[in-house]
Amino acid sequence: MKIKLELFGASRDFSDKEYLEFNIQNKISIKELRKKIITYIDTNFSGNENFKKIIENSAFCSEDNNIISDNYKITKDQKIGIIPPIGGG
Amino acid sequence: MLHTKIVDLKKEQVNLDSANKFIASSKFGASIIFTGTVRELNENKKVTGITYDAHDAMVIKSFKEIYDEVDDKLKIKDKAVFIEHVKGYVGLGELSIIIAVATPHRAECFILSRYIIEEIKKRSPIWKKEHYENEESEWLKGTSINVNQ
Repeated sequence: MKIKLELFGASRDFSDKEYLEFNIQNKISIKELRKKIITYIDTNFSGNENFKKIIENSAFCSEDNNIISDNYKITKDQKIGIIPPIGGG
Repeated sequence: MLHTKIVDLKKEQVNLDSANKFIASSKFGASIIFTGTVRELNENKKVTGITYDAHDAMVIKSFKEIYDEVDDKLKIKDKAVFIEHVKGYVGLGELSIIIAVATPHRAECFILSRYIIEEIKKRSPIWKKEHYENEESEWLKGTSINVNQ
């Protein structure tokens, strides 16, 4: 199954594209997805600590624009948004 | 009565006239137009501009939720609310947000205006990347949204 992780705010620095893609064998929770993104940072950005901190402090949202908890299970191809700490206005 | 919009600066500009027109009504005796603009100094760094990013759908959803809860939380039933937030590059002194509100009386108008901007700061997925005089730039730290609600 394919998870398309849409990047926003500070997480846009994780890629030149607007998203990251993860190919996952089985269903996966947000908690586990968070670990996968950290592994991606380890591999592609030599474990950049600032980037990892962003991931640890981010929320995630589903395709239907709801904030989802760490226990939320992704069971099929889906778009997920990463929501780093916010501050508009 | 509510108007919300994310204004993509690549395509259009925010416009105070639209805000004024939207809230104009003889039902209301008080109105406040709050604007946010880019200032030149932040944490002792000289700022040249800010790039705003937004999760458009979630931002609009948050604006609606804030508006809807005002009835119960603030007991302000009669109101007109106009909220536009920009996305893209904003230069010094330029507008990043317009919140225009109108209510029958002034006290509730002040409360409503303040409530909306404070809640947007806490809840709406909008991000700022500041650009500095030395040509560096950085995303501002911001506040985490609660992930395990």
